[in-house]
Amino acid sequence: MWKTILRRLLIIIPEIIALSILVFLLAKAMPGDPFTGSINPHASLAHIHHLMRINGLYDPWYQQYWNWVVHLFHGNLGMSYEYQEPVTRIVGERAINTLWLAVFATVMTYAIGLPVGLYAGRHQNSRSDHAIRIYTYVTLSVPFFVVLVLGLWIFGYMLGWFPTTGSINTNAAPGMGSVISRIQHIVLPGLLQAFFSLTGIVQYLRSEVIDATHSDYVRTARSKGVPVRDVFRHHIFRNSLLPITATAGYAITGLLGGSVFTETIFSYPGMGLLFVSAINYRDYTVITALVLLFGFLNMLGTLLSDIIMAAVDPRIRIE
Amino acid sequence: MSKTKIALTGMAALSVLTLAACSNGNSSSSNKMVKLPQAYKNSKSAIKGGTLKVAEVNDAPFQGITDPALASNAEDTDVFAPEIQDLFNNDSHYKFKNGGPANFKLDKSAKTITVTLRNNLKWSDGKPVTAKDVEYAQEVVASPDSTSQQYSDSMSQIVGMDEFHAGKSKTISGIDMPDGENGKKVVFHFKQMSPGMQYGGSGFIWEYAEPYHQIKDIPIAKLASSAQVRKNPLSYGPFKLKKVVAGESTSFVPNKYYWGSKPKTSGVTVQVVSTSAIEQALKSHKYDLTVGGLPTSKYPQIKKISGYTTTGTPSRSFGYFGFNLGHFDTKTAENVMDSSKKMSNVKLRQAMAYAINQDEVSKKFGNGLSERATTLVPRFFTQFHDNSNNGYPLNIKKANKLLDEAGYKKKGKWRQTPDGKPLVINFAAMKGSDTVQAEEDDYLQQWHKVGLDVKYVNNKPMEMNSFYSMLQAPSSNKFDIYLAAWQFATEPSPQQTYGKSAQFNMGHFVTAKNTELINKIDSPKSFDTSYRKQQFKAWQTYMTKEAAYLPQSEGTDYSPVNNRVKNFTNDPAHTNTQYAELALTSNSTATK
Repeated sequence: MWKTILRRLLIIIPEIIALSILVFLLAKAMPGDPFTGSINPHASLAHIHHLMRINGLYDPWYQQYWNWVVHLFHGNLGMSYEYQEPVTRIVGERAINTLWLAVFATVMTYAIGLPVGLYAGRHQNSRSDHAIRIYTYVTLSVPFFVVLVLGLWIFGYMLGWFPTTGSINTNAAPGMGSVISRIQHIVLPGLLQAFFSLTGIVQYLRSEVIDATHSDYVRTARSKGVPVRDVFRHHIFRNSLLPITATAGYAITGLLGGSVFTETIFSYPGMGLLFVSAINYRDYTVITALVLLFGFLNMLGTLLSDIIMAAVDPRIRIE
Repeated sequence: MSKTKIALTGMAALSVLTLAACSNGNSSSSNKMVKLPQAYKNSKSAIKGGTLKVAEVNDAPFQGITDPALASNAEDTDVFAPEIQDLFNNDSHYKFKNGGPANFKLDKSAKTITVTLRNNLKWSDGKPVTAKDVEYAQEVVASPDSTSQQYSDSMSQIVGMDEFHAGKSKTISGIDMPDGENGKKVVFHFKQMSPGMQYGGSGFIWEYAEPYHQIKDIPIAKLASSAQVRKNPLSYGPFKLKKVVAGESTSFVPNKYYWGSKPKTSGVTVQVVSTSAIEQALKSHKYDLTVGGLPTSKYPQIKKISGYTTTGTPSRSFGYFGFNLGHFDTKTAENVMDSSKKMSNVKLRQAMAYAINQDEVSKKFGNGLSERATTLVPRFFTQFHDNSNNGYPLNIKKANKLLDEAGYKKKGKWRQTPDGKPLVINFAAMKGSDTVQAEEDDYLQQWHKVGLDVKYVNNKPMEMNSFYSMLQAPSSNKFDIYLAAWQFATEPSPQQTYGKSAQFNMGHFVTAKNTELINKIDSPKSFDTSYRKQQFKAWQTYMTKEAAYLPQSEGTDYSPVNNRVKNFTNDPAHTNTQYAELALTSNSTATK
């Protein structure tokens, strides 16, 4: 198994190189440049050309790509044209914000979604099950940004229970003060995100449990006199969780993706907004770095999912 | 800080609601704009101290560059405004006025501007602001290694600046420090003088100082990413930066070395708030003021929020149509008119202008904050805007007549060129909100009414980058008319936008008369304001007749002010010292 994992990791290297060339070319093929649209009529176009030149944007693409690769091996992803600071620093700052929010939201999603889904499946057609189904239909049909705006309005502004903008209070004391402030700031967007995302898990799990309840091995267990509670605990729940486990790897590596809606409405500077603004501003260095990072994480997610599946299901082996 | 930049902006900044307004015939009523007070007068007595809470309305995090020489967007200047101050105060028309951090003296015959710093002007670390700090600020903007986007053609009028900018010289020969680097006087020598030099934001000199003693060892290319610029900037403004949370908030405490009256509040916080959340934030009375762009569409709701008084000021955003009349010759660096261009017939252009129903569009969708622009000098420039020029109000009959006279006869539904060929006019517009799209659709409908087959370039509005890439190409046959917008600075000279060698004259309109009129506006004789006004009027009349560029719309920027705030005004004469003057009349925000 270790050999396989190592081989899979090595395969990622050429994939990343291919992805980097593709991203580099596609980014350059987009119309415009980092200075388009921010023109100052008092400035001369000659000055804009000057800025393009000193930033190497008039070099042939292969030269630009080569420069980028050389810098990459020195741990330098270049300077952002928009932010005028090293890409690693901006991505680092945003990644930390995104991780705080995403980890909390993901933990809450699974912590609430798993028991609710299992409960709904086990008590099919009960009143609670109907209520849960209505909830999932509502959340499936309401756009996410509406949930965010409503949640912010009710719990942030009307009831005043949570901070409404940003990732930390401007005047938070250093140390524990800033940790507490950060936690306060992620609770509302994190919970809203969790209550919205758990719909899929609940529905999936509910139907898995219902299917498993009618399967042969459950019938056999029941006929052997195994108590219902044990059948659910040891047979049905474990098997029903397998499809959810299959996506766990993606969920872990997807933590850095960020959410544009949440970040915009809560003015929370994270990876989602960084990616969108990098595309709008043609901030090539940031675009390339982020796509590569997301690509790498995606490949890693696939591998992780396979490993997790193998760990939880004895029938599966990575060969 | 509101007088820093001119930028090309998307139409989204200007436009408002939804649906197309259509009506036939002549324009019956002009749009009535709401009249908002320029200032909020609070008669209550001020408390001692208190923290002023400001919302910066924006859907993206700010970039965090505290230095205006290096910042490339309005958001950074908004969130760091309490610590940034222009070297010069100005009057309500943005003309420099002595009495601020530095005095300004212009000598036409010697072709110099002398800047004299106040004796008590100090950085927030207690060190004096010196002549070298002013000189180095010019170097930061103009250095060949600089990442600054503020270098301008106007700045190259300083003697020796071109050589310095090109890297041929290590110093700017046209800048003298008669009392030495630690003195208080800086003399700028110019190749030629222009009346625009008397106005803030005209770009002839960079109007800020840099703390040379703090940043001298940092290469200019790396200044924007340095901790000195990002986290620990020095300031000679009323406040100094206490803390910045990357992309989301800033907080300030009074600068104890401030040259003027001590700030009346004990602190300022500026927090980014998204456009979708700002209405609720104000309803919860979380902020005293807003800066940045409040969406016009939210005005009807925001103006009703209790505890706030809505103030307003004429907007510097200005929408306009441009016709493609030629190309930019890269060898001579001049625009050239091309008589074979589709839109070279002035009657065709005038007819298109008369067919637009901007009064109705602004009236129905502007919430009272937008109106038809009548000349190429917006009403914002009260001194130079020609009120007697009514531009092109809707007149379908006249539009048809002009087209008939010019030989654009109808064949079926559409008109043809005078030589009988099909006429398809390509309209380049930018993608925006549903409202923007509806307005753009309305222009198409109006042109269709007079038989002109006008179509979007590639059949749809364009993404901003593609749009400007096309417009800035030296030559393009893909578009015949475009719709764009300017954010004007405080000096309205048309030289950089409509001049013969102006690269932003993207319609490439050039005539001897236009050059002559623009040159008169910028001539030494125009240091006499009444003469300059006459020249501006003549130029506006000429440009209306030529219809190479059509003014589209302009409006009012509104800003709610919490009723506990004292001394708030939009008067440009107070902009430079506003944060020092603002006071509070209670400890918590007013709810009524």
